[in-house]
Amino acid sequence: MKTILEKGIIFYQGKFQELDKLVIEKGKITEVVLASAKAKKGKPAPAPKKKSETSANVINCSDRYILPGFIDAHTHISLEEEGVGYYDADYNESFGLATPQVRAFDALKMRDKAFNDALHGGVTTAMITPGSANPIGGQCCIVKMVGNVAEAAVVKESSGMKFAFGENPKRVYGEQKKFPSTRMGTAAVIREWLMKAQDYLKRKKTKEFKEREIKLEAMLPLIEGKIQARAHAHMADDIITAYRIAQEFNLDMVFDHCTEGHLIAKELGKWKARAVVGPTFSSRCKPELRNKTFETVEILMDEGCVVALTTDHPVIPIEGLSVAAAMCVRHGLDEERAIKAITENPAIILGLDKRLGKLEVGYDADVVVWDGHPLDVRSKTEAVFVDGNKVI
Amino acid sequence: MSIIFNNVRIPMSGTFFPGQKVLVEKGKVASVGSMIRKNVEKVIECEQKYLIPGLIDAHSHLGLFESTVPVDDINEPYADITPHLRPLDGVKMRDRAMEDARRAGISTCMVCPGSERPISGLCSILKTNGNSADVGLIVEQAGVLMSFGEQVKATAKKSEKSYVTRMGVSALIRETLMKAQDYYSLKQSKKMVKDREIDMEALIPLIKGEVPMRACAHRAEDIMAAVRIAEEFKLKLVIEYGTEAHLLASLLAEKKIPVVLGPTLVPRFRYELNEKTFESAKILMDAGVEVAFTCDYPGLPIETLRVAAAMAIQYGLEEKRALAAITEVPASILGVDARLGKIKKGMDGDLALFSGHPLDIRSRLEALVVDGDLFVFSNDLKIESGN
Repeated sequence: MKTILEKGIIFYQGKFQELDKLVIEKGKITEVVLASAKAKKGKPAPAPKKKSETSANVINCSDRYILPGFIDAHTHISLEEEGVGYYDADYNESFGLATPQVRAFDALKMRDKAFNDALHGGVTTAMITPGSANPIGGQCCIVKMVGNVAEAAVVKESSGMKFAFGENPKRVYGEQKKFPSTRMGTAAVIREWLMKAQDYLKRKKTKEFKEREIKLEAMLPLIEGKIQARAHAHMADDIITAYRIAQEFNLDMVFDHCTEGHLIAKELGKWKARAVVGPTFSSRCKPELRNKTFETVEILMDEGCVVALTTDHPVIPIEGLSVAAAMCVRHGLDEERAIKAITENPAIILGLDKRLGKLEVGYDADVVVWDGHPLDVRSKTEAVFVDGNKVI
Repeated sequence: MSIIFNNVRIPMSGTFFPGQKVLVEKGKVASVGSMIRKNVEKVIECEQKYLIPGLIDAHSHLGLFESTVPVDDINEPYADITPHLRPLDGVKMRDRAMEDARRAGISTCMVCPGSERPISGLCSILKTNGNSADVGLIVEQAGVLMSFGEQVKATAKKSEKSYVTRMGVSALIRETLMKAQDYYSLKQSKKMVKDREIDMEALIPLIKGEVPMRACAHRAEDIMAAVRIAEEFKLKLVIEYGTEAHLLASLLAEKKIPVVLGPTLVPRFRYELNEKTFESAKILMDAGVEVAFTCDYPGLPIETLRVAAAMAIQYGLEEKRALAAITEVPASILGVDARLGKIKKGMDGDLALFSGHPLDIRSRLEALVVDGDLFVFSNDLKIESGN
């Protein structure tokens, strides 16, 4: 069955425009007609109604804002189910040091209230990653915010390998009286495993190869460039260390958090870096956050970086994603780019820009109808479609 | 940027020669003399002030200890052998100490991990004008840091994991070097496909004699342990700290082993510092040992490098040799004397302009040039834009 959204204001091709109609069919967007386009054509002769069209579900969206579902490209949704606490803390294998074999997808809890919160915040897709205690934390996944089982929500089971730089790993292992307790040590652990993986790949092609090793098997897609490296790095120097390693091992790297990115904006621009910035709404609770500012996003975008915003849920609740975008506007970013930072840009960063992040023909029908401007914190989501199904 | 220093004193054959001009172009010293005529971007009228090569500290942890942050990136107390640690991965170029170093006239530092573990990592040479560690880098692999004596023992005891005697530490180092030798010869034989081992890979340049073993040792016995091991494995050797090195002066001279001496301006808070004296430098140099001063930042503030040289003068060292020990000699010990440590055509444009004699502690640094980047620290300095 078709769903047709009529009238309203759509965020289309990078700006807000008057909509005539948007058609959703079989989970995809099949037609978008702007009011301006229709006006130009003049009134076409009324086409004879087809049978199928009579069964369309038409929703009048006058005065409403119609946006792509937001995307948070870095969260820990449901790895620690909200309101449960320790027994459910599945963030970090913090005794494992390098745990590339660990998959966030295997620890999703689909009845976590956060999924519903996400939909109410207009968020329809999220990347979910293991935590940042280990130099190599494990595999990230990308899911939509619906479904009873993880398989029903999946976009990508394994989309990236999580690496952590800076204070977290050295604190976690230093407190356990184990290596590493310096930034150099963290980098050494990461290099060691990347070297092992490179050599394992070579050895696997020879006759000497016998038994598989689960950790190194997990690293292969990364080494082969099939999945991304996701680098948790706050301080400028940590970002540069991550980049150095990415260059050494030819990794496809995305910078997560990127708190001091604005201090090395020129370099990041030169590298055409992709950065997932946030959670900027947190406090400066550790030294590496001391230079945190909502201006980072604009500064990096001006240098040509692809920048997305993140809540890092549960650090900031997932509903705060559009609020973070609004805060960037308050600090000088233009509205359009603020919205791109939670739609198109995260889609590009996650490698899903052919199906997510825009309301265009052929894209997934992840559509959110807001009763007011989406960056006005008072606005509510009136209707949310995920893959064409109305879920709110 | 091109800069000319007009009417300046520069060190020449043991004294300061007045009325000179120094031209810096494209990051290098382009010309030195009294007759330079050239259109440049900045003309600095120096009024007979003192221009010396940018100072060099051949042993520091600059940027690995972050000012005011209680947790540092210097030591790995829970791993004994980590030759593969790279300072680049831990240095914070925006730390206040970098600015402190520039204000002290220091343009180059050797940065290494700490000396609490037997083999703690690579030594890298950085300049202080970088905005990321890679930008300031001159040589990444300039040595492997190893340590002997009390501190290694103390950390081993605290971490409850490791060898706690001097014999144990030496045994562990020998074991690792043996492995590295065998790893290297196996690798050369190409007989089998073998996964690389990251720690062994880091030791290959040492085994091949391309870079020195930088051995932290205070007591004569600990220095001798390093000398013995270096000879057994045919390694180049540099002694760091060398508190009792003056007791072995003739032996070190004969074996041509340089000493990076210091930090001397500390109290004798450990037994191994008992023989500490400011006369060390003179005794060693008189015997023919190459000596460079270090303040082992953050062992001492980085600003005290000049003070270390001045203190040695107080204890009998000639000015000329004291100045060389924070310029030419560290450049030579670090193996970068072809480009650092002297004011000479073709060498790096690293220069420090002082209001008075650079080893008079009352003199202030007015300007520093690193790779041609100009940092000005005095409002009175006459800088004009050239034509």
